[in-house]
Amino acid sequence: MRKALFLSLAFAMPSLLPLSGPALAADPSIPVLVPITGFLAVEGKSQRNGAVLALTQAPGGLKVRHDVSDTGTSPEVAVNAFERAIDDRNTVAVVAPMLGTQMLALLPVALQAKMPMLTMSGTAAITQQGNPYVFRFFPDDHVTKTAQVRFAVEERKIAKPALIYQTTAYGQSGREEILKLLKARNITPVYQDALDVSQKDMTAVLAKAQAAGADSLLVHLHGGPTALLLKAASTMGLKLPIIAGSGLSQPSTLALLEPAELATSCAETGSSPISAETPEMQKFVADYRKAFDQDPDAFALGQYDGTMMALQALAGGANTPDKMTKALASTTYKGLAMTYKSNGKGDMAHSAVVICFDGKSRVPTIAKHYDVN
Amino acid sequence: MTMPATPTLSPSAVPVRQRPSPAMLVNGIIVVLLGLYLVWSGMAAGNYTLRVLSIAGIYALLAIGYQFIFGHAGALALSQGTFMGVGAYASGILAVNYGVPFDLALPISVGLPVLLALIVAAPVLRLETHYFALATLIISQVVLLIAIEWISFTGGANGIGGVPPIRIFSVTIPPGWPLLATVWGFVALGALLAWQIARGRLGQAWACVRTAPSAAAAIGLDASRLRLTAFLLSAAYAGFAGSLYVHALRVISPDVLSFPIIVSCLTIVVVGSRLRPVGALLGALLIILLPEWFRDLRDYYLLAYGCILLLVVVIAPAGLLGTLELLAGQLLPASPSPAPSPRPLEPLAVRGAAVKTSEAAAAPVLDVSRLCCSFGGVRAVDDVSLRVMAGEALGLIGPNGSGKTTLVNLVSGFYVPDSGRIALCGENITGRSSYRIARAGVARTFQTVALVEDMTALDNVSIARDVNRIGLGAALRVGLRDPVQTRAREEAAFLLEQMGAADAMMRPAGSLPYGVRRRVEIARALAVQPTLMLLDEPAAGLNETEQSDLAQRLRALLKQGTALLVIEHNMSFLAPLVDRMACLDAGRLIAEGTPQHVKSDARVLEAYLGTASELVPA
Repeated sequence: MRKALFLSLAFAMPSLLPLSGPALAADPSIPVLVPITGFLAVEGKSQRNGAVLALTQAPGGLKVRHDVSDTGTSPEVAVNAFERAIDDRNTVAVVAPMLGTQMLALLPVALQAKMPMLTMSGTAAITQQGNPYVFRFFPDDHVTKTAQVRFAVEERKIAKPALIYQTTAYGQSGREEILKLLKARNITPVYQDALDVSQKDMTAVLAKAQAAGADSLLVHLHGGPTALLLKAASTMGLKLPIIAGSGLSQPSTLALLEPAELATSCAETGSSPISAETPEMQKFVADYRKAFDQDPDAFALGQYDGTMMALQALAGGANTPDKMTKALASTTYKGLAMTYKSNGKGDMAHSAVVICFDGKSRVPTIAKHYDVN
Repeated sequence: MTMPATPTLSPSAVPVRQRPSPAMLVNGIIVVLLGLYLVWSGMAAGNYTLRVLSIAGIYALLAIGYQFIFGHAGALALSQGTFMGVGAYASGILAVNYGVPFDLALPISVGLPVLLALIVAAPVLRLETHYFALATLIISQVVLLIAIEWISFTGGANGIGGVPPIRIFSVTIPPGWPLLATVWGFVALGALLAWQIARGRLGQAWACVRTAPSAAAAIGLDASRLRLTAFLLSAAYAGFAGSLYVHALRVISPDVLSFPIIVSCLTIVVVGSRLRPVGALLGALLIILLPEWFRDLRDYYLLAYGCILLLVVVIAPAGLLGTLELLAGQLLPASPSPAPSPRPLEPLAVRGAAVKTSEAAAAPVLDVSRLCCSFGGVRAVDDVSLRVMAGEALGLIGPNGSGKTTLVNLVSGFYVPDSGRIALCGENITGRSSYRIARAGVARTFQTVALVEDMTALDNVSIARDVNRIGLGAALRVGLRDPVQTRAREEAAFLLEQMGAADAMMRPAGSLPYGVRRRVEIARALAVQPTLMLLDEPAAGLNETEQSDLAQRLRALLKQGTALLVIEHNMSFLAPLVDRMACLDAGRLIAEGTPQHVKSDARVLEAYLGTASELVPA
C-alpha cells in the first residue's frame, strides 16, 4: 500500500508542474513537426529525414536547432506541438506536417503567431485561405493530378478509367481534382471506389472495376494500400494500365513489390530522386542513404529543398519569422527537384513528373515532365 | 408494524460529531491544488502550456460525462467520442456556415448528441456487456463514415477550417488564459452538476443496478430507465465538450470522431476515477499532459507513455483518486456517521390495481395457474398451479433442480413463462418485467445474498423506499439535504432494527457476516412493503438461534397480512413456520397440503430419498 501511495503521488504530482517547452538558446531554431506514427508514418519519416538532412547541411556554417516532434495524425496533437515549438522565441520557421487536416488546424495558430510553415501537404485547401504563413514545397493536387490525368489520356489513351481513391483528406482532395480534369476531357470514370486505409483485400474492388469495363486504373492511394492493390492486380492477372499517385514513387512502397508486379504501372510524383538524373541529385541520394540507410522519395527531396530554401534565407539575414515569411514569399530558389517560387498563395512547387517501371527493376524512369501554372 | 424487540445499538450511542470523511478530504485537497495550479498557470505559463491545459479541461468534461454511463451505470459504451464529435460538428458547422456563435449553438450542439443517444438507446441499451460495447462501436463507425463521405456538408476527410473562437454574450474568448479560464469554468460547473446528480439516491440506484442488477430489479428499480438517464447525460456532456473542442481547435475534422478519442476518455476514467468528477480532472490532466512531458524522448515517447499508463493501471486499479482515498482512509480513520432515528413505515396507499375492489381483496394474493417454463429441452416448471392467501405462508420444497427457484423467478418476473398465468391479488402480472412486479408489491430475496457491497446496510435498505421518486429531476431539485433520502434512511433504520441488524446499519454490506447480510436482504425486501414475499432459502447459513429469530420475525410479518412463499430445505425451520407446503419434482407439483401431510407423502419421500420401500422408519 505504501508503494501504491508513492506511485500515486509520483504520477499525480507532476500534473501540477508546468510543461517545459524547448530550452531557450541563442541559435535560431527550425523545429520539425511531422507525423512519424500513424498511417502517414512512412511519408512523415521521409519528410523528417529531408528536413533533418538539410538542417545538418545548413549553408554558411549556420547552426540551427531542430527539435523533431511527432504529430501523429491528430490535429490536436499537431497544434500542441506547434504551440510548444513557437514558445521558443528563436524559432524562425516551422517544418509543418504533411497531413491536410493537421495543416488546416495549424493555419489559424500560425496566423496568430505570424510564424511561417514549410510543408509538404498536397491538400489544396491549405493555400486557398489567404494565409500568408503557409509555404508548400510539394506540388499541390492540381499540379500532380494534372500530370497523372494528362499522362493517362495523352500518353496511354485511356477512355474508360476506374478511379480508386482513399477515404482520407488526401484521397478525397485528389479525387475531386481528377474528376474535374477528366470532365474537362469529356471522360467519366466507369467505376469509382473509396478505400479505408485499413483495407487489406483489394481483389473485390479490382474485380468490380474489371466488371465495369474499365480500360485503366487511376489510383490515388497512400503508399501501403497502393502496394497491396498492385499485388492483387498482379495475382489476378489484371493487365490494365495503372497510373498511380505519388504513393507508388516512394521507395518504401516499391520495396513491398516485386519488379514484375510493377510492370504495367506508372505514377505521378513531384520528383524522383532515385532516378538520379543529375550529379547534384546523385550526391543528395548518396548523402541521404548514408544518413538514414534508405532511399529518398519525393517527400524527402521536397522537404529538403524547402528547408534548404529557408536556410538560405536565414543565411541571408532572415533571422525572424517576419523576415523569413517575406523571404519565402518573394524569393525564387533553384532546388534539386525543381525551381520554387510562391504563386502569391504559398504554393512553391509547380512541376510534377510521371515515372514508369519496366517490370525488371524497382528503379523508375521519368516518362514525362509537366509544368503546371 | 410491530415486531419482537431485539437488542440494538441505540442511535444515540453512536458518536454524532462528524468531520469530513478522508475521501472528501482527498477530493477537497486535490480541487484546491488544481485550482491554485490553474490560477498560477493562467498568470505565468506560456501559450503552449495554457493551450494543453485548456484541452485537458475539455477532456475532463468529456470524461465527467463518461463517468455516468461507464462508471455509474457500469456499461462500456464506446460512443462517447461520437457524441463529442456530433457536438463538435454541430457547433462548427453552425459557426462556419451560418455564423451562429458558440453560446447560441449550444442547445443544438448539446441537444443533437442527446437526440442521437435517445435514438440509438432503444436497440442498444437492452444489450449486455460486450454486445453493448460492440453496438456502440458500430454506431461510432457509422457516424464516422457519414462525416467522411458527406463531403458537401461536413467537408469530408479534410473537415472544415476557419471555426471562430468561443463567443459568449457577444464577447470573443481569445486563446491563452481567457480560454483556459472559460474552459475550466465550465469544467467546474460540469463537475459540480455531476456531483449533485450522483451524490444522492440516483447515484445509489446506479450503484445497485451496476453491482447487484437482480437486487435492483427486485426492489423495483427500472434499470433500463436508469441506464438511459446515464447514457443521455453522457451524451450531453460529450456534446458540450465537443462544442468547446471545435472552437478551441478552430477546425472540424473526422479526427474528433475517431477511436483514439474514446480510448483517451476511457483511459482518463480508468486512471483517474470511474465515479468521482475530481478523478476525471486528475486523469485528464495526466493523460493529456503525459505525452507532452515525454515529447523530448522523440521516437520513444509513445512507448514511455504506454509503460507509465500500464504501471498506473496495475498498481492503482481503483484509479489514482481511489488509491489516494484508500490510503487516506487508512491514515485518517473516519468518524462513523450518526445513524438515523428509526421511523416506522406508514401504511401504503392503495397500490396499483391490487386491493382495489372487495372482490380483489378476497382473491388470493398469488394465484399461479398451469405455469410452464422450459430451457431448451429441459422442462423446468411443468404445469404448476398454486395459491397463497393474504397472511398465509406457503413452503416450497423439492430436491435440487426441481424448479423451485425457477418458479420464484417466474413469479417475480425474472423469467417469462412459456404458458400459464400469474395473478397478484386478482391482477394478471404474467410476463411483466421484474421491476414492475416489484412495484406491484412482490418482494424477494435470493439464494445467494445480493447486496451492494460498498454501500452501508442502511443504504442497501433505504434505496428500496420510494423507488418511483428516483430520477434526474429529483436529483437536481434536492438541496444539501434530501428529505426523501432522510426519511428513507429513517425507515430503513426501523426495518433493520426490526430485523435485528441495527448494529450493522452504518457498516458496508460487504463487511457484514453472512447471517446479518441475510437479515439486511430481508429488511430490504420489507422496504418494498410487499403484499407477497418470495424468500429463497432464507435460513441457509444461519445458526439455530438465528433461524429461530428469523422465524419469529417472519411470523410477525404474516400477522400483518403479508403472504409468504418460502423455498427451504431446512424442514425444522420451515415446517413450524408455514401453513401449507408444496413439493416440486422435475418441475411438476407432486404434493400440496399441510406440512405434516406433505412430509409423509410417498411421492415426496420418493423424490427426496428414492423409492418408498427403501425407506427406514424414523
